[in-house]
Amino acid sequence: MKKLYSAPFIAFILIGTIIPTCVVAYYGFTSRDGGFTFDNIAAIATAEHAKALCLSLLLSFAATLICFMIAFPLGVILRNSKLGQKRFIIFLFILPMWMNFVLRTMAWQVLLEKHGVINMMLESIGLPGLSIINTPAAVILGMVYDYLPFMVLPIYNSLSRIDESVIEAAYDLGADKSLVLRKIMLPLSVPGIVSGITMVFVPSLTTFAISNMLGGGKVNLIGNIIEQEFTTSSNWNLGSGLSLIMMVFIVLSMALISRFDKNGEGNLL
Amino acid sequence: MKNRRFLSGLYLVLVALFLYLPIGTLMVLSFNSGKSMSSWQGFSLKWYQEMFSNQEIMHALGNTFTIALWSASIATVIGVLACIALNRMNERKRSFFLGLNNIPMLNADIVTGISIMMMFIMFGISLNYGTVLFSHITFCIPYVILSVMPKFRQLQNMTYEAALDLGATPVYAFFKIVLPDLMPGILSGFMLSFTMSVDDFVITHFTRGAGIDTLSTLIYSQLKVGVRPTMYAISTVIFIIVLLILVVSNVLTSDKVKKKKKDDYKVSARFTGKRLFASTAVFVILMGLCVYYTVSVGKTDSGSSTVYVYNFGDYIDPDLVSEFEEETGYSVVMDYFDTNEEMYPVIKNKTADYDVICASDYMIEKMIGENLLEPIDFRNVPNAEYLTSGIRSVVEDFDPGMKYCIPHTWGTYGIAYNKSLIDDETLRLMESGEISWKILWDKKYEGQIVMTNSLREAYMVAAEILGYSINTTDEKQVSEMTDLLIEQKPLVYAYANDNCRDLMIGGSAALGVITSGDVLYARDANSDIGYAVPVEGTEVWTDCWAVPASVGNREGAYAWLDFLLSEEAAEKNFEYIQYAIPNTQLPDFSGDPVLSPSESVLAKCETLKNLGTEGDDLYSRYWKKAKDNK
Repeated sequence: MKKLYSAPFIAFILIGTIIPTCVVAYYGFTSRDGGFTFDNIAAIATAEHAKALCLSLLLSFAATLICFMIAFPLGVILRNSKLGQKRFIIFLFILPMWMNFVLRTMAWQVLLEKHGVINMMLESIGLPGLSIINTPAAVILGMVYDYLPFMVLPIYNSLSRIDESVIEAAYDLGADKSLVLRKIMLPLSVPGIVSGITMVFVPSLTTFAISNMLGGGKVNLIGNIIEQEFTTSSNWNLGSGLSLIMMVFIVLSMALISRFDKNGEGNLL
Repeated sequence: MKNRRFLSGLYLVLVALFLYLPIGTLMVLSFNSGKSMSSWQGFSLKWYQEMFSNQEIMHALGNTFTIALWSASIATVIGVLACIALNRMNERKRSFFLGLNNIPMLNADIVTGISIMMMFIMFGISLNYGTVLFSHITFCIPYVILSVMPKFRQLQNMTYEAALDLGATPVYAFFKIVLPDLMPGILSGFMLSFTMSVDDFVITHFTRGAGIDTLSTLIYSQLKVGVRPTMYAISTVIFIIVLLILVVSNVLTSDKVKKKKKDDYKVSARFTGKRLFASTAVFVILMGLCVYYTVSVGKTDSGSSTVYVYNFGDYIDPDLVSEFEEETGYSVVMDYFDTNEEMYPVIKNKTADYDVICASDYMIEKMIGENLLEPIDFRNVPNAEYLTSGIRSVVEDFDPGMKYCIPHTWGTYGIAYNKSLIDDETLRLMESGEISWKILWDKKYEGQIVMTNSLREAYMVAAEILGYSINTTDEKQVSEMTDLLIEQKPLVYAYANDNCRDLMIGGSAALGVITSGDVLYARDANSDIGYAVPVEGTEVWTDCWAVPASVGNREGAYAWLDFLLSEEAAEKNFEYIQYAIPNTQLPDFSGDPVLSPSESVLAKCETLKNLGTEGDDLYSRYWKKAKDNK
């Protein structure tokens, strides 16, 4: 009887994840006429695909790093402040998700446009305008904007779980603020950082909507190429092959990162 | 110390500003009386009025929230059960399953969505409400497990055992002791799943069937013709409601927490007793509404008196749908897509059955070739006599004798220009119609050019310059055109389809490749915008209605086609979409370069042809080279 508890879960994993992944693999290893081929996998070696993958890796790495640099100080501040009531924090960061994703990203177009809101504000106080729209910088900004909550929440969660007495002990033993930060806060929040990195890096690596909307069609990421193969070019086999490659990259980077968090303690909320 | 507090306060404010600036922008835009995102045309509440009277939006709203409620509830139950089971497993087994649990989170949305869709197609399951629900549950479960699992680890077995010792049954003890402790995790898992489900676009997009639109897919399908501000309005309303709910519940609970702070144990007890009862009651009522809704969706969707229409987003005046329903007694279920290529596999694989579809010329040709369309019996569409002779000759190119399709809108591609941003010489050429496509390669407009992001149209421009056919499949010519496109790249401000018009309106670009259909709209918002068809010639396009071979309700389909050709429908559509509509009952626009290109211009025009798989592959291979990052 008790074994049955996990049955629906296993069923969903099987039907919702494993079988579809096998279907992708099937398409990835066959050509349009159904014969077995490695062409779709080998296609990653062509210049356009390889460059798109590199750029994706680069941009998502940058976005993850920036998210971390924003989120960690934020986590420390929130932990130490009276504002640090958990519900409030979650509230602050989950709320933006209630504005539709497509619209939220579109709004950045309006803000960043050549004569957009931000430039009008900058110019009115005599500063030179920004011209980052339709560049990789705008895409990074979009990634940071959309996925920042996924970095802040787990880091804050880990930080708020640190026992106050540990920190007090460190001060008693003569540590100063920066030492506490480096030797206590940082190491003890690693699980949160790891899960934050995962939750930012993966969607950034695979996005196509953000680069479409903020890159002005000039920033071609691996996600865009895969999306085009499935939609405009109707070449499902090539799209599947490239998806498999992308999965391999995700699994590799996750395996690398998860070595820092052996217990799998990091979690979102 | 004070300084430090000030700095951290400032930091918080900056981050909050970053998070909420775009949201504030959308809220402001929802009160804009104009349709464009890039210009403010006065305060108005009209989008809010339109929103409530728009059946589709209300329908999408219903779908969005019922799907979210169903999937979050089911995922929560499955997730909690799974946690109970996982907790009893040994370490190795548990980490194996937790690893599997991570897969949907690690997978790209697009891969998850497409793979589930391909699985359904492979096993011949047609896409519907259930398939969307299934995929949403799949991606929600991991969030529930990730939220609940840590609570299980913090659980102290002592109280549970004490309860058993005192004579409680395991079930009673579970509900009295364990569940209240897990409740915060369960609640946050539920809320997170709910939010994710509402916000999801990509997965829904690929797994939905006929008649299933959520707010996200509705918004995305409107990208072709421009997102209507009603979408900002509905999002603003939802946002404000959620904000209020969260603020109220936050204030209520924080008072309680303060009172009970001394007694830590009782904090978790707040989920028992009356509160548990009250929230269960609310939940049951919501689920009841949800069941009612889902059942009623099921009911209206069945029956032979329904016409299933598959159309580009926002490509018809929504009032016409209800007028058609009143006039003929049929009910209409309309779904939307953003590009022809999205529509094609749906019809080809019969993942959803439609009675009438809208598609562009080359796609019509392709579908005729693959026997996916049924010839139209024109005796049942008497209003077809109102089609203009001009459009009949254009249709000859892709549907000889006009047997399979009925044109809906048509137009040309050309250059949109902003009078205030180009020099006199260019303006003179534009106005006299002597302009060449080469102006888009002119260095003096560096960073002010919007090029089309659509593969075929981009190559059309290059082909016209080089004097090739826009349907060439000669690899040497394609490669030469690619070089030309690469040469243009440094001058291009953005590659865009849908929002070229908004970039022009906002003054971000001086020149842009645009379809004539978008010109009226752009001109309304910014009177400096003009349109010219270059001397080399251009592409003329037609979007048509057609009846798929798998039609279920033929009479309904014909009634729909006939209705759209009526004077009233033609007028309303023209006013709503502002694209040229080839109907003789509309005023004569001849001479207007936007609405009715002259014979001499048409003589230089070509229509896009279907190039076949090999041709498509050839272009898509070279297009990727053209778009390659430096």
